[in-house]
Amino acid sequence: MSVLLNRRQAFKVMIGLGGAAASAVLPDPAGAEEHPAHPIAPPDAIAMLYDSTVCTGCKACMPACNEANGLPADTLLSGGIWDMPTGLNAQTKNIIELYQEPDSDQFAFVKRQCMHCLDPACVTGCPFGSLQKSDWGAVTWNSSLCIGCRYCEVACPFEVPKFQWDSWNPKVVKCEFCYDQRLKKGMEPACTAACPTGAVIFGKRDDLLTKAKDRIAASPDKYFEKRVYGEHEAGGTQVLYLSSVAFDKLGLPKLGTTSLGHYATKVTSKIYKYLSGPILMAGVLGFFIKRNWDRHESERPTHEQKTGFPDQL
Amino acid sequence: MNTLKAAADKRGTTLINHWQCGVPVTRGPVFTRTLLFLIGLAVLALVLAAMRFFSPLGPFSSMNDAYAWGIWKTFNVMTLTALGSGPLALGIAAWVFNRQKLHVVMRTALVSGFLFYATGLFALGFDVGRPWNFYSFILPWRWNTESAMLEISICMPLYCAVFLFFEILPLLLERVYYTGNDRARAVLRKISPRIRKAYPFVIIGAYVIPLMHQSSLGGLLLLAGTKIHPIWQSPAMPLLYLIAAGLCGLAFMIFLLLIVCLRYDRSLDDDVLTELANLLSGVCFVFLAVRFIDLFWRHQLAAAFAFDSMSLLFLMETAMILTPAVALRFKRVRETPRALLNMGALACLGGMFYRFIPTSIAYKPAFSTRYFPSTPELLMAVGYVALGTVLFVLAVNYFAVLPGEAAEWDHTFRLIPWPRFRGKSILAVATPAVTAPITAREGGI
Repeated sequence: MSVLLNRRQAFKVMIGLGGAAASAVLPDPAGAEEHPAHPIAPPDAIAMLYDSTVCTGCKACMPACNEANGLPADTLLSGGIWDMPTGLNAQTKNIIELYQEPDSDQFAFVKRQCMHCLDPACVTGCPFGSLQKSDWGAVTWNSSLCIGCRYCEVACPFEVPKFQWDSWNPKVVKCEFCYDQRLKKGMEPACTAACPTGAVIFGKRDDLLTKAKDRIAASPDKYFEKRVYGEHEAGGTQVLYLSSVAFDKLGLPKLGTTSLGHYATKVTSKIYKYLSGPILMAGVLGFFIKRNWDRHESERPTHEQKTGFPDQL
Repeated sequence: MNTLKAAADKRGTTLINHWQCGVPVTRGPVFTRTLLFLIGLAVLALVLAAMRFFSPLGPFSSMNDAYAWGIWKTFNVMTLTALGSGPLALGIAAWVFNRQKLHVVMRTALVSGFLFYATGLFALGFDVGRPWNFYSFILPWRWNTESAMLEISICMPLYCAVFLFFEILPLLLERVYYTGNDRARAVLRKISPRIRKAYPFVIIGAYVIPLMHQSSLGGLLLLAGTKIHPIWQSPAMPLLYLIAAGLCGLAFMIFLLLIVCLRYDRSLDDDVLTELANLLSGVCFVFLAVRFIDLFWRHQLAAAFAFDSMSLLFLMETAMILTPAVALRFKRVRETPRALLNMGALACLGGMFYRFIPTSIAYKPAFSTRYFPSTPELLMAVGYVALGTVLFVLAVNYFAVLPGEAAEWDHTFRLIPWPRFRGKSILAVATPAVTAPITAREGGI
C-alpha cells in the first residue's frame, strides 16, 4: 500500500496545520490576564458616583436620559400623560426608584442604570462582540453585530440589558454612558449633567472612589456598612453607590468580589487556548478511531463473504 | 393488539442476537392515524414558526427580560440535544473503545440524533431576535472566542449540517444504489470508496465537536452566576452537562430501540442491549460520582439534603439516575426488556431533568417575574418534537435504519410516494425497486 503519508505523519500534519490555522485566525484568546478574578481599573476609567443620601428623588436625570438617547417616555401607567416607568425597560435606560421601609417612614432613593462593570459578564458572553467595553470603560452595544440571543440578559447580575420584545427589529436597550451621544464629544453623561443636587456625579473612577471614601470617613455612621457598593462587586463596577439603607434593599444584589468572566472562563480559557484542547482530543480520539477502523476494514471482506451482504456504514 | 400478540414469544426471556444490519420496515401502512396526527402537530408548528418570522417575539412567547430564555432554548436545545447525543455516546463506544457490536445500532442513533439537533436548531432560528446578523459566523474576526454562546452557535449547526449529515449519507446513498438505475449505481460505486476513505477522519470531528458544544451548553450557565441555585450552579457544570449528554444519549437509544422494535415487531438483540445497559449504568455512576464530589467540594451537600423544594428536586433527579444505575447492574434486569425500557426511560428523564432544571426551575433572578410558556410557544416546542418523530418514522420506513436480521431483507425498499404531476412522478430517481439482488462482491455502499 503506497500512501503519501503514513498515519503518524498525517496526524502531525493535521496538528500542525490546525495549530497554525488556529493561531492565524484566532486573536490571542483569554489568557489568565484577560479575566483576572479582581480586575484593576485602567487609569482613564470613568465612573458615576451615586449617593442615595443626597438624592431628593426629583428625577431630573430621567427625562435628561430620554432626551439624550432619543427614548420615548414610558406613559403606560400614567395613562399616556407623563413618563412613569415601573423599572428599567426597553424604553428606559435610567430610573430613580423609591425604597420604603415597610414598618417605618424611612425611605431612600436609588438610581438604576448599567453598572459598566470592569469585567462585564455581558461582554464575555456576547458571541459576536456586539456588546463591548469601549473607551474609558463604557459598555456599549452595536446593532450590526447583535444576533438577539439575549445571553446578555441571562449573564448580567444586575439585570440591566432589556430586549425590545415588541419590535420586529429588536434592540438591546441599556445605558451606554451616553458614549456616542455625549462622551465622545467631551461632555459628561446626561444624567450627571442634569442632577441638581449632586447626588450623582461624574469623574475618573479613582477620584470618585477617593471622594466616596472621604464622605464615609467624614460621617461614618451615615453609610451602610461604611463601604462603597461597586468597588469590588462582581470584580468592580464603574458606577459606585453610597447608601444609608442596605444595598440589597435598594435592588443592588449581594455579589461576590470575583468577576463572573473569571469564574466562567478560568478553565475553558486554558482548554481552548490556541484550540489546544480540541486538537489534542482530536489526536487521541483519531489514533484509536483509525486503529479500530483499520481493524474493521481488514475484517470486512471475510465478514461480507460470510453474510453475503455488503457492509453498512 | 396484533403487534403485542406477534411479539409475545420473542420478548421476555428468549433474547437472541437478531440484529445484524440496518433493515427498512417494508410491511404495514406508513401513514397511520397516529402519524397523521403528528404531521398535523408538526404542520401547526411550522405555520406558527412562519408567523413568528413576521412577528416580534413579544406576542408569541411569554419570555420577558428576567426569563429571557424560553423553552425553545431551554427545552428544545439544551434538554433535547442531550437525547440527540446518541451518535456521540455510541460512536465513541463503538469506534474509540472498539465495541464493534454497537455498529449495528449506529444508524438508529444517527438518524434520531440528527433529527433532535435539526429540530433544536430550527427552534433556535426562530428564537433569536436578530437572525439576519448571524452571517458573522463566517467572519472569524468578529468572533468573541471566550463566549460559550459563540462556540454553540458555530459548532451546533456545523456538527448537524456537516458531520452528522456525512455520517448519514451512506444510509441515503444506499437506497439510491439499490433502487436507482445503472448509471446512478456506477456513480455511487465511484463515490463509495471515497466516503470510506474519508470516514475515519470525518468522524474524529463528529466526536470532538459535540464534546465541545455539549460541555459549552453547561458553560453557558456559568455566567448566570448567583441567579442559578447553588445546588446546580457549579464550575463542574460543563463536565456534568457533557456526561449527562452521554447518559441521555445511551438511555434514549435503549428506550428508542425497544419502542421501535415493539412497534415494528422486530426481535431483540441480547448482546447489543446488554452492552448498552452496561454502558448506561457506568455513565450514570460516573455522573453521580462527579455530581456528589462537586457538591461536597463546594460545601453544598447540606443544601442538597435540606428537603426544601430545591433539595427535593435534586433528590428526585438523583433518584432517577441512581435507580437505573443500580438496577442495570443486575443481569435479570438487563435481560428483561420491560425493565430495560423502564430503566432507560427513567435515566432519560433524570438526565433531562439535570439539563433543564438549572435553566428554568432553579433559575431565579433577583427581579424575578413569572415565566410559563405561552400556548404558541408550547405548540411550537411540541410541534418540533412531532416533526422529528414524523421524519424518524419516515426514515425508518424508507431507509435501512433500524437494526434487523440480514436474511429477512432482500434489499428492496418501499417506493417513496413522491407527489405526482399529470400522472408522472416528479422525480426521475424514483424508479422501481431493483431487479437483480446485489451481492457483496459487487460492493454496496
